[in-house]
Amino acid sequence: MTRDVRSYDVLIIGAGVVGCAVARELSRYNLKIAVLEKELDVGMETSGRNSGVLHAGFNNKPGTLMAKYCVEGCLEFDQVAKELDIPFKRTGKIVVGFTEDDKKKLYQLKEQGERNGVPGLEIIGREKIKELAPYVDGEFALYSPVTGILNPFIYTIALAENARQNGVDFYFANEVLAICLANQENQPACYQLTTTKATYIGRWLINCAGLNSDKIARMMGIDDYTIYPCRGEYFILDKKAGDYLKIPAYPVPNPKEGGLGIHLTPTIDGNVLIGPSSEYIEERDNYAATQKIMDLLLKDGSRIFPYIRREFFIRNFAGIRPKLVSEEQGGYADFVIEERTETPQAINLIGIESPGLTSALPLARKVVEMVGEKEHLKEKADFNPYRQGILCFREQPLEKKKELIEQDPNYGEIICRCETITKAEILQAIHNPLGVETLVGVKNRTRAMMGRCQGGYCQTRIAELIMQEKGKEPPEVIYARQGGNMFTGRVRD
Amino acid sequence: MENLTRNFICILCPNSCEITASFNNDGILRNIDGFSCQKGAEYVQQEIYNPRRNIATSVKVTGGELPLVSVRLTKAIPKEKIFEVMTEIKKVTLQAPVSLGDVIISNVLGLGADVIATKDVPRI
Amino acid sequence: MVKKDVLIIGGGPAGLAAAVKLKKLGVESILILERENHLGGILRQCIHDGFGLTRFKEALSGPEYAARFVAEVQAMDIAYETSTTVLEITADKKVTAVSQKGLQEYQAKAIILTTGCRERTRGAISIPGTRPAGVYTAGVAQAYVNLKNIMVGKRIIILGSGDIGLIMARRMTLEGAKVEAVLEILPYPSGLPRNIEQCLNDYNIPLFLSHTVTDIKGKARLEGVTVSQVDEQFKPIPGTERDYACDTLILSVGLIPENELALMAGVELDSRTKGAIVDENYQTNIEGIFAAGNALHVHDLVDYVSLEAENLAEAVAEYLRQGSLPPCPILIETDSLIGYTVPQKISGLKDFQLSLRVKKPFQNCSIQISQNGELLKAKKMRKALPAEMIQIKVIKSDFLTNEIANLRISVANS
Repeated sequence: MTRDVRSYDVLIIGAGVVGCAVARELSRYNLKIAVLEKELDVGMETSGRNSGVLHAGFNNKPGTLMAKYCVEGCLEFDQVAKELDIPFKRTGKIVVGFTEDDKKKLYQLKEQGERNGVPGLEIIGREKIKELAPYVDGEFALYSPVTGILNPFIYTIALAENARQNGVDFYFANEVLAICLANQENQPACYQLTTTKATYIGRWLINCAGLNSDKIARMMGIDDYTIYPCRGEYFILDKKAGDYLKIPAYPVPNPKEGGLGIHLTPTIDGNVLIGPSSEYIEERDNYAATQKIMDLLLKDGSRIFPYIRREFFIRNFAGIRPKLVSEEQGGYADFVIEERTETPQAINLIGIESPGLTSALPLARKVVEMVGEKEHLKEKADFNPYRQGILCFREQPLEKKKELIEQDPNYGEIICRCETITKAEILQAIHNPLGVETLVGVKNRTRAMMGRCQGGYCQTRIAELIMQEKGKEPPEVIYARQGGNMFTGRVRD
Repeated sequence: MENLTRNFICILCPNSCEITASFNNDGILRNIDGFSCQKGAEYVQQEIYNPRRNIATSVKVTGGELPLVSVRLTKAIPKEKIFEVMTEIKKVTLQAPVSLGDVIISNVLGLGADVIATKDVPRI
Repeated sequence: MVKKDVLIIGGGPAGLAAAVKLKKLGVESILILERENHLGGILRQCIHDGFGLTRFKEALSGPEYAARFVAEVQAMDIAYETSTTVLEITADKKVTAVSQKGLQEYQAKAIILTTGCRERTRGAISIPGTRPAGVYTAGVAQAYVNLKNIMVGKRIIILGSGDIGLIMARRMTLEGAKVEAVLEILPYPSGLPRNIEQCLNDYNIPLFLSHTVTDIKGKARLEGVTVSQVDEQFKPIPGTERDYACDTLILSVGLIPENELALMAGVELDSRTKGAIVDENYQTNIEGIFAAGNALHVHDLVDYVSLEAENLAEAVAEYLRQGSLPPCPILIETDSLIGYTVPQKISGLKDFQLSLRVKKPFQNCSIQISQNGELLKAKKMRKALPAEMIQIKVIKSDFLTNEIANLRISVANS
């Protein structure tokens, strides 16, 4: 069997938010770039499975990269959201406490945040809590006005699509199996990557493999990173619960835990998340939810938000933090971003857990800086930082809705009833710039099937549209991951 | 002497009557009890000596608005023939249009029941 | 703005029956809005027979049952729009709908909500485990198999003994799949006994009561489930776990009336039925907005859906004639063993149809209607099951007095 061999200047391993941000930032320059991803879409692991919060940066130790990049990433985000055409809201956030001890910790957090450069932090009392979040319990709280919420899938997709627009190639279903460093005399270093699909050659290697970043490093011969997967489970509540919560509400964090505690977060789309738990696990891709943790989420979540009702539950999910500290060590280790002398032109980003979503672009700029130190980067004249998302019919005013249907009648056909997603939007998602063909790909791009009926009405239609538009037979339709075939065949051939 | 009984749930209507049939020692039906209409009594008799069922499934259609047309039998067939009749039905492919009531297979396997379409599938 | 006397939202069995009856009662200005490209609603995918025994005195398949009403709608020239989705309704009975033809606004004198119901999902019941492909609700699986010519799997476990799950157990078996088991968390089946008989027993499919799925396995496609027995509090009993290999899990764990539009207009819902609170006229708390069928409360049989919608049509016709309907200050209360009643309130001035469900199975019981502690009426039943809706015709002369005193519905062993 012959294998395709593809040559690039830069190979990025992992299409999570960090890999996509690095791709986007490097696409400003005259470089031939490829992103290799083992899954079938971007943002399928840690990046898409979190609270969707743009953190302000008060939870991180002063002087760390986490603190620096988080603050930077948070404050610049209005411009980022504008460029990438993604929904984003600076809701602010409250960390609520009940006891004197909590109060002391909140003041410490405030002071830490101020040292990190977080603006506007304030300790507030019951009255202000009631004003910001009428249904949240708490005696006092730390209020951070700059914290925001976003859709982490859409953000990652937007970064990737913008990178694609600017010439970056994305290869899905390409799991890296081996890395070989070819170091010839008088020649720049050169890496050869063997994936499940092809062979890739690149001068630069950027390891953004998240949960598997230590494995990738080991393939390069670096064996002193260890990722400890730490699972967090969530419940998603109906938009009806969204009426009760407009601002993320967190408990006072336990610094030993290595998470921010089970909190309540409104999503940018109006749902509410409860979670995440914090549980060290063995497997890096075991996203199972467990009864024990679900019970705990309910109990802990109800402490600060007593309006959790069983009928509001529409789904649960889990994410896994790629932690650099073990359960025994506890807490957080700082982000690692480094180029080792023994592996020149290979940059490893290791342990990019929370606040990785907020820090993705600052981290990416750091990568650009490190590349730029080694070689002259020439800016592309035609780099376009603006990307256009799929227009959301539901959010348009009446007149605009009429106009859209006139231009394209497919805007008049509602496919997803719960979220009011039109056929026009579904078709745009099916023909997305990255060439993703999964059902979950359509879901993450449009919100179809994310509502209270969870696809009961529209899933059959969307699966049918994927088959029609992509010329697929039923057994070829994939739900989310390789091997995740939706159907076994036809009833009648 | 022991009374032998067998319990049935009548499937003919939503009442789902619980009907008990009792037999004597020679296995001869002696009594039927618990039905609320005559059909129930008849059903149990049939169920004892020759259980029959209707089936509903689909037949492939080409060139139609739908890829399948739903079908059923005009009357119940012996229970043990269900899968044989399914095999017959699976062999058929129709060309649209198909109309509700169309006979798709008449007297399937000589069982005295027709396979009929239960919806319209217009041509595209 | 298009003006109509009656807008019917949803062209399934309830909407169609209401339209036909209204027309027969002389209401001319009717429009049915249907989101799918055909009338008939969920019946289009319910290809099994057994429909129509009450309404038409014969056993029809779902599509045939729907076709009878569709034929009447067409013969009577009742207007309908398909592939049209209602985006919003308001308390002053303005309706906004979209289709490929454009966005249309309507003003109605009366709105009839016959929007049907949706299935309870995996998320709603929070089953632990991974999230692979191969987990379907029964209605979705039914749509793939019966409408789209798509086979969802070959080795199947069904969670929940609701009727659609039972029907799908038989359907998948006929198509060559192996249905390993049907599990029900309750100590009694949720579906009708005759469906247990003809869908499970006929095909030797085991039904395990007081059992549920406690783990879902498989990262990409479903690989298996863990099944456990549960105690009286529905908690899994440790040590009873059993693993099944399967590629498909079908969920038949309940239906929820679809009332998102109703809520937009300020319609008040009953936390028991999850449908609107209505009076004997099927009128909601918003004057001129009516509801019937599975949008009002989940029915066991489509025949009752049609009959209920026909009763509703009479009230709507009267509403249009009179401009209003009499107030209904008499509340219908229930004891703890009655799941719910519809209507929830009455005027006391006329006969009405009482629909209810019991919360647990009874043998030889009586459903009692009393007022001021005095028994007005009792319906004796050989058995009463939660799976079956009980209907009692209450006639005006049953009422003790004309005074405003709540009715109390209870169930007693006799």
